[in-house]
Amino acid sequence: MNQVKVSRKDLMSVESPGRYVGGEYGSVIKEDVLKQLEQTGTCKEVRAAFCFPDVYEIGMSNLAMQILYKCLNDMEDCWCERVFSPWVDMDAVMRKSGIELYSMETKSPLRDFDVVAFTLGYEMCYTNVLQMLDLGKIPFRTKDRKDDDPIVMCGGPCAYNIEPMADFFDIALMGEGEELIVEVTELIKKYKDGGKKDRKALLLEISKLEGAYVPSLYEPIYKDGRYQGLNKLSSEAPDTIRKRIIKDLDNVPYPTKPVIPNIRIIHDRAYLEIFRGCIRGCRFCQAGFIYRPVREKSPETLCRQGIEIEHNTGYDELGILSLSSSDYTGLKDLTDGLLDAFEGRHTSLSLPSLRIDNFALDLMEKVSQTRKSGLTFAPEAGTQRLRDVINKGICEEDIMKSLKLAFAGGWSTVKLYFMLGLPTETMEDVKGIADLAYKIEKLYFDVCREQGIKARKPEITVSTSMYIPKPFTPFQWEKQNTKEEFLEKQAYLRSLIKSRNIKYIWHDVETSLWESVLARGDRRLCDVIEAGYKKGCFYDAWDDHFKYETWMETLAEHGLTWEEFAKGFDVDDEHLPWEHIDVGVNMSFFKKEREKAYREEITPPCRTKCSGCGAQCFKVGECYAAK
Amino acid sequence: MLQNERSLEMTKQKHQTEYVVRCLFERVGDASFVGHLDLMHTFDRAIRRAEMPILYSQGYNPRPMMVFALPLGVGIDTLGDYVDVSLAHVVDAQEFMDKVNPNLPKGVRLYGGINIDEPKNSLMSVVSVAMYRFEAPGIKAPLMHLFERDTIEVQKKSKGKIVTTDIRPLLLSGAQNPSASEDVVEIYCCAGSSKNLRPDVLMNALCVHEGYDEDLAANASVTRLMLYGGEYPRLIDIKELL
Repeated sequence: MNQVKVSRKDLMSVESPGRYVGGEYGSVIKEDVLKQLEQTGTCKEVRAAFCFPDVYEIGMSNLAMQILYKCLNDMEDCWCERVFSPWVDMDAVMRKSGIELYSMETKSPLRDFDVVAFTLGYEMCYTNVLQMLDLGKIPFRTKDRKDDDPIVMCGGPCAYNIEPMADFFDIALMGEGEELIVEVTELIKKYKDGGKKDRKALLLEISKLEGAYVPSLYEPIYKDGRYQGLNKLSSEAPDTIRKRIIKDLDNVPYPTKPVIPNIRIIHDRAYLEIFRGCIRGCRFCQAGFIYRPVREKSPETLCRQGIEIEHNTGYDELGILSLSSSDYTGLKDLTDGLLDAFEGRHTSLSLPSLRIDNFALDLMEKVSQTRKSGLTFAPEAGTQRLRDVINKGICEEDIMKSLKLAFAGGWSTVKLYFMLGLPTETMEDVKGIADLAYKIEKLYFDVCREQGIKARKPEITVSTSMYIPKPFTPFQWEKQNTKEEFLEKQAYLRSLIKSRNIKYIWHDVETSLWESVLARGDRRLCDVIEAGYKKGCFYDAWDDHFKYETWMETLAEHGLTWEEFAKGFDVDDEHLPWEHIDVGVNMSFFKKEREKAYREEITPPCRTKCSGCGAQCFKVGECYAAK
Repeated sequence: MLQNERSLEMTKQKHQTEYVVRCLFERVGDASFVGHLDLMHTFDRAIRRAEMPILYSQGYNPRPMMVFALPLGVGIDTLGDYVDVSLAHVVDAQEFMDKVNPNLPKGVRLYGGINIDEPKNSLMSVVSVAMYRFEAPGIKAPLMHLFERDTIEVQKKSKGKIVTTDIRPLLLSGAQNPSASEDVVEIYCCAGSSKNLRPDVLMNALCVHEGYDEDLAANASVTRLMLYGGEYPRLIDIKELL
């Protein structure tokens, strides 16, 4: 078998060489397959490389990777290894020393695998996909790949609009991958058994699996520079591709024995995913729609898995994961059960996405035996009007009530997250952000006085990010704010926040501008992305490495402008590049929600009242069961 | 008020009895690219997975009670480092190692452990000498030649300034029974918290003073063979320095 050798000198010349050596506890070595490989250079099993297009510390923090790594390695006919994007320094070393991209488990070159599967969590990682294919010596484009080249596929939230990367992927998997990735791998196994002949026939066969999208079976149509839909190149290709979901989360494989990194990673803890979907329906939030319907795991399953994970990993922290922990109906049973089980074991729970109420504060007190950490709120918008537009079911009174409890309980650090550039936003709404921060500052001193608490210096942090319209949301047709608009809003807010107790953090505008192009882009961007990569763009998700001017220049070289992607789409008579994908939620529902947004009308959470989004088509989930 | 509660709790802590297991450990191959702090975390998790009753420090940021004899640089193998692990009750050292070893990542292994009831000296304070092996083409002669010098000046960056120091006093001797190969050399040098010679500093001196090839030096395999207490040449086994 081929193994990539990296010299000690090369490894010692990069920051954190532990990223590139593997050997972690829990990484899967299939001895029988390894023996075949060592003896014959090949094996009958499918060799899968699960690729994360970012640095090791981020990839290893990704739960999807651990889940699918397990699903593939649970298959008798497959051995899955992990591959990460080498950091900039290692990238340079590999190019200089002629080192190919290799896997963590066996140090095999990427092109020796049968399947190369990427998870795409954010658009800004696209150039790193090209970097990995490049270092792995795999042709970029699906049309240039030969029968025995690896099958290159992707999944994750960005797969829902994969058009900007469509030319690079043989397959894009829609939705939850636990079952689908196994079905695809089974077909690839047959292909391998048959001596890898006729790749096109394989892809056509895969396209018949629900949730598998094969971009090369379609070609886009444009008229006067506007997208007109896809033309099928094979009559057998499906018209629409419906995402997959897992019906029974209690019985789906969950990684209770994950790979434990040897070096510290971004989220260095064990994870327990408690439910999928979100009952809220915030209109800006893609996750709130693409993961529907809401499906919970039972507290019994979760307690059992949580205890197992804590034992198997040795982590001293278990993170409870979901889009909104407070909306989990069994939260009390679950946290009581886990806190009991972890008594005396120096293991803590971390509960992000909590709505602050008495129960939550009590829980936070219990879970963190150490000092009081900060409280985080995401009002997203500064005025009630705009919060109604985005259907953020949180009002000022709620925030003030929660904070009153928290301040009385000794908390004094508050983080507030907002977005700039939401549809219908005016300067009045921007001012509302500062007003809210000032009200919270005043509340802190009022509560301290009333309760006889010695007031400290409260730390109130206001953080704004740029709103980017995303596919499969009611705002998918909206116009994106321009650079000037964003900068003006940031500057205005900066001028309003003068208190020493309030800190304002703003994000870089330029990365958001490029992200918005990728988020709603179409296949014309494939050439742009490749050209940008060839000019040295990668690690775009890292502000230090993001090259805004290069991207704008590359767009222009391809006869495209930022404006034509940012201006959005005409609601009534324009095609959306992702319209052939079916996430269960209907386009008509998105349109209705958009109209309600403009009327400043809210839509109640799914649990209060079904709004008929369409996700009941999956015949499963909380809303379906309630009917 | 909160602050007062905290200090009260800290003073209330009763003395906990420690049962220490002192183990030798090796870290070889790819695992040697894991830094010292990361290695501590790795040990912590392995011990927790093995369900060994490790003690935690008191206070608001409880840490697992583990002491390493001497930090080990990234990229250096070791066959003879020490770690003391404090346990809440007695666990036979052999059992401890048998339980923990399967939980350690590839390339890391405990061996030669002993139980200590009342450690008097901290593990870090007893280390004084290390034995290293260097393997690289033709490295023996130039490295042994360094020993013939009266001074070996090296430049180190310290707080932004470049300082020149003499590392000759830190070199103790070539090994008692050096290998016949010209590509291997074993040496004793000062190690520990007061006087310590880092192998990378020595390799740098080798290039600067003996003109040894920098690429060969960078690719040299460096192994810490053993740590000792006592004074060279009367070395004492660290397991005897309780």
